[in-house]
Amino acid sequence: MSLLEIKNLHASVAGKEILKGITLTLEPGEVHAIMGPNGTGKSTLSNVIAGREGYEVTKGEVYLDGKDVLAMEADERARAGIFLAFQYPVEIPGVTTSAFLKTALNAKRRHEGKPEIDAMEFLKLVKAKTEKLGMPYDMIKRALNVGFSGGEKKRAEVLQMTMLEPRVAILDETDSGLDIDALRVVSEGVNSLRAPERAFLVITHYQRLLDYIVPDHVHVMAHGRIVESGGKDLALRLEAEGYAKYINAAA
Amino acid sequence: MTKSLILDHPFGASYAKQLGVAPWSGNLPGPKVEDWRFTPLRPLAKIPFAPAAADVDVDAIPRNVPTVPGAARIVLVNGLYRKDLSDKALGKGIALSQVRVQAKQGSSLVALNAAYAPESVAVHVSGAAAKIIHIVSIGAAGAQPTALHPRITITAETGASVTLVESHVGLPGQAYFSNPVASISVGEGASVRRYVSVDEDSEAFHLATSLVTVAAGGTFEAFHLGLGGALTRQEIRVVLTGENATVKLNGAYALGGQSHHDFTTVMDHAVPNCVSSQVFKGVVDGQSRGVYQGRIHVARDAQKTDARQLHKALFLSRGPQIDCKPELEIYADDVQCAHGATTGEIDPDHMFYLEARGIDPDTARALLVEGFLADAVNEISVEPVRDLFGNAIGTWLKTRGAA
Ligand SMILES: Nc1ncnc2c1ncn2[C@@H]1O[C@H](COP(=O)(O)OP(=O)(O)OP(=O)(O)O)[C@@H](O)[C@H]1O
Ligand SMILES: [Mg+2]
Repeated sequence: MSLLEIKNLHASVAGKEILKGITLTLEPGEVHAIMGPNGTGKSTLSNVIAGREGYEVTKGEVYLDGKDVLAMEADERARAGIFLAFQYPVEIPGVTTSAFLKTALNAKRRHEGKPEIDAMEFLKLVKAKTEKLGMPYDMIKRALNVGFSGGEKKRAEVLQMTMLEPRVAILDETDSGLDIDALRVVSEGVNSLRAPERAFLVITHYQRLLDYIVPDHVHVMAHGRIVESGGKDLALRLEAEGYAKYINAAA
Repeated sequence: MTKSLILDHPFGASYAKQLGVAPWSGNLPGPKVEDWRFTPLRPLAKIPFAPAAADVDVDAIPRNVPTVPGAARIVLVNGLYRKDLSDKALGKGIALSQVRVQAKQGSSLVALNAAYAPESVAVHVSGAAAKIIHIVSIGAAGAQPTALHPRITITAETGASVTLVESHVGLPGQAYFSNPVASISVGEGASVRRYVSVDEDSEAFHLATSLVTVAAGGTFEAFHLGLGGALTRQEIRVVLTGENATVKLNGAYALGGQSHHDFTTVMDHAVPNCVSSQVFKGVVDGQSRGVYQGRIHVARDAQKTDARQLHKALFLSRGPQIDCKPELEIYADDVQCAHGATTGEIDPDHMFYLEARGIDPDTARALLVEGFLADAVNEISVEPVRDLFGNAIGTWLKTRGAA
């Protein structure tokens, strides 16, 4: 069975159709990259999969392990194993990163029938993960994303991902805002999670990321559709040629 | 006839007769009194309160009274000091006595208390108190609605230092009305931390007045929490009487059902070079009503005053009402004063972020509400107390907050 199956997905925002029939299948162990011009619907696709309100799915289906994703609430989708690393993570004052991480982790563990993680074990886990991502451990004492720099926010997203160990991770421009070293560290974080039972959907504007996180498939999205798919070489070609031909084709 | 006074109330001659004391000659403030515009007392006045019994059996301290680690407890039941329930050893630096209440002039509720309070529990602090003092006031109505008039006097000598926790709770049953008055004197260079939690029974009325003076170089840090009760008002009047005094007055409330909670503060900068800050935060749900009235008075001489005040309320549903009235009366010209007030709702983007990490909506909402209250609660500088108050809010959210 495919891990994530998106079939002819149509979705609108504020009455305007943004996704115009997306079909995409992620097999276990695969990394797919989506590239495409600004405003094409890449974040819309990731939000629709994650279950954000305000997006109306007008047609199509999404399945995770054969289960109907669109019938689930956002929190159920996450517990089922969908993870979205946000393009723009929100700042949440007053809620400490550690309280948040612990609550999220325990929600998942409860779902899996495991006991809550004990305080010491949790701290050890966070310590190990933050170290690996080159983040100061003290950061988890701060309010969630509040005052984090652009790059720190992206790292924090990856930290959450490595703690929650999702089945399908959607990374929405996680590379933008990262410095050169951070890009490598974050990519290593992602690569360390690559596993036969897991799949990634990596949205990016830069071929450079794909040197680190080498994709099995690259898709070009334009005007709410996947207009071309190929191997990792497609990313190199896009880098050289740009999107002109896709934009003109649809216009 | 007039709406400035409620003449028809149960605290007159027959009430006094039951106590064998001279009657209170005052009246309750009516809706035309500016300070009481948002908190109507007519429902209270209609209940035939009798004086609370002095000798009630209390087998156990109510469950919503936290155990403050390392604290010595002073327990009052129906306003009376209960030696049998209190700790004998209060630790170095603390002297406890019972003093007669002087019927001084004051607001009508202070006068009501003075008329009917038993002796005041007086805590005298010299040097650095070794233990946290935890004052527990329990309202125990009997078979009929009763009123109690607890009186607490705190005196911190020059250079003294103490942490006080106060829990106001009640036994479930008939309606009761608690009318506590606390007089707190912070001596020169003294430091008093006072953390008050009002978590009365859902049928209870609680109208508290705190009268605080802070002498030169003194520090007063207070946090007031309001969680339950039918109608609660915590009125806190602080006078900075000596230069270089610092006051941090903070509070939080969480209301559901039909609860009504009123924070009224008066920060009186009488002298120059003092600093005061106030952060009050509330969450409201159900059909509840929250009130914040904050007056800052800066006297003509009180140059270089730095006075700040902030009130923020979070609506968990559309039913509640918030009334906020900041008042700045500034007569000095070289001062820094700021006040702010906002109301809002939970941000759906915040909710989605938490839900997208697998957190169910109820838990997500509770996290966000606790987060909203955190910057007030985090002002509590004594860590174990901060944790206790945080936990009390957490419990409230889990058990009483309409999810
Ligand atoms: N809430 C909204 N209301 C109106 N239009 C919206 C809303 N959300 C998204 N859109 C529109 O949908 C389109 C697709 O946006 P989306 O964010 O999915 O693009 P994207 O491909 O992720 O772009 P980028 O590369 O710049 O991140 C855009 O035209 C955007 O303005
Ligand atoms: Mg985007």
